[in-house]
Amino acid sequence: MHAQNQAGWRIYAITTIVGLLILAPFAWMVATGLMTTGQTLMVPPRLIPSPPTLDGVIEVFNRIPFATLLFNTIVVSAGRAIGTLIVCATAAYALAIIKVPGTSAILVGILALIMVPGDIFIVPNFAIIASFRMTDTLVALFLPSVFDVFGVFLLYQFFRGVPRELIEAARLDGASHLRILATIVVPVARSGIVSLAILSVLSEWKDLLWPLVVNRSIDKLTLGPGLALLRGVYTTDWNVVMAAGAMAALPMVVIFLVLQKQFITSFARSGLK
Amino acid sequence: MIGYLLLAPLLVGLLVFRAYGFGYNIWLSFMNAGAFGAPKFAGLANYQDLLGDNQLRVAILNTFKFAIIAVPGVIVVSLALATLMQYRFRGQSVFRAIVFLPAVCLPTAAILVFGWMFQTQYGLVNSALQVMGASPVSWFGSASGVTVVVSLLVVYLSFSVPTIILYAGMQDISPDLYEAATLDGAGPVRQFFSITLPLLTPSLFFVIITTTISALKLFDVVYVLLPPVDHSVSLNYGFTLVYYYFYLAFLETGQRGYAAAVSLVLLLIILAVSIVLMRLQRRFVHYGENG
Repeated sequence: MHAQNQAGWRIYAITTIVGLLILAPFAWMVATGLMTTGQTLMVPPRLIPSPPTLDGVIEVFNRIPFATLLFNTIVVSAGRAIGTLIVCATAAYALAIIKVPGTSAILVGILALIMVPGDIFIVPNFAIIASFRMTDTLVALFLPSVFDVFGVFLLYQFFRGVPRELIEAARLDGASHLRILATIVVPVARSGIVSLAILSVLSEWKDLLWPLVVNRSIDKLTLGPGLALLRGVYTTDWNVVMAAGAMAALPMVVIFLVLQKQFITSFARSGLK
Repeated sequence: MIGYLLLAPLLVGLLVFRAYGFGYNIWLSFMNAGAFGAPKFAGLANYQDLLGDNQLRVAILNTFKFAIIAVPGVIVVSLALATLMQYRFRGQSVFRAIVFLPAVCLPTAAILVFGWMFQTQYGLVNSALQVMGASPVSWFGSASGVTVVVSLLVVYLSFSVPTIILYAGMQDISPDLYEAATLDGAGPVRQFFSITLPLLTPSLFFVIITTTISALKLFDVVYVLLPPVDHSVSLNYGFTLVYYYFYLAFLETGQRGYAAAVSLVLLLIILAVSIVLMRLQRRFVHYGENG
């Protein structure tokens, strides 16, 4: 019993230290964001802003169109999630419920495509988007990624678990496939849908390379690349950069804290195989 | 019939953005395509250039260097965190939330903080070093400095998801095994290496493969960390394959034909590494079953 208590104490100490280490960059970001530029240029550095100031926060709005970037990020993430869900749910329905002829060949193709890194399509996709005259639009940011083969595979696994009797009963009642998809399959496979939505939003949220390529004007960028532009050419006002970083990171952190359970299940499912 | 209609959006999208995109990339790799004017056929010139391209060599070496350092780092950190999460303690859910923060944080924000922490004159890290009596390091002034910061960042940004996958894998191991081992007098360390690790190999290999592939695609960390003004720093210390590909196609002179050839090199490398890792996995798991 005594040995176990000691182990518990040690585990407690280790988790506290590890937790603080993970949090340290966040804390330092917030602390710096509340300093004046002068306070960031002290040797040795001040850990706590005294007095705290919103100068950095205000300056963010002068240097980058923060509200536009945030708005774009929300629109693009929502567009990505909705587009991905429509494309993947209809395809997964055809493969898992209708089982169209050629399903197994299509699944093999999908599994093979999951292996191919999307980054090699940057140049051709840019050419395609340009030929659609869609560069510098918000739709361009998420359009190529809604055809998500991993998403199809994820939903396929979930849809296969929907009881056949439910679907056959609905068929006998004369329900159309789209109706069955919307009223039976999606609600039953809800947790798979939620996971795919979360994974899509997160991946759009984090994307940097594609937005930098396809959209040149800052008014059509998302927070990630918009923030990267804050790095000064000669000097960097770190309080401004950190204030922007903290403000940009905040929305997703809040959403995560609210939907923690769903996020963690989704992460676990991104390793599904 | 309706089935194919439902599949149509996916198939059309894949046809345009994947099949056509892939064909276009291969076609482009045989072209001399600049920023202006129509592409001209260049034969194998782009591929010949690959062989003598010092910058490409640097990019490949950097990519592998970061992966070789960061992937084991991610694995060790996530194994340790997953092990910690097996214990029951007060504040467990808070700890779990903290472990996932890096996965939901905007990467650009995290990368910028690291850039600030490792800043030479006013950064936290150098001040801490000075307090401990060491001399400050110019982190972005040398290849080894850049390697340390980039690797730390990759580990920081990527350990969360492997942790949950390994945690789930550990949960699947029967508690009976640990009880039997305890009765036999095996301590926690022995139990970890004799029970946990061998039985965890399927999740472990999955995590190794996915982490390695994403490390080979590294772009955002070096792009944001090493500012474009310091081209020499990026060019020498930080160029990764994806960054180089992006740089060729969109930043420098717009050599899209050559960039396409470089992207195919990236594809070949990722496929080769995946195949090697999967082969290893098969052998390893098989060995486990017989042994």
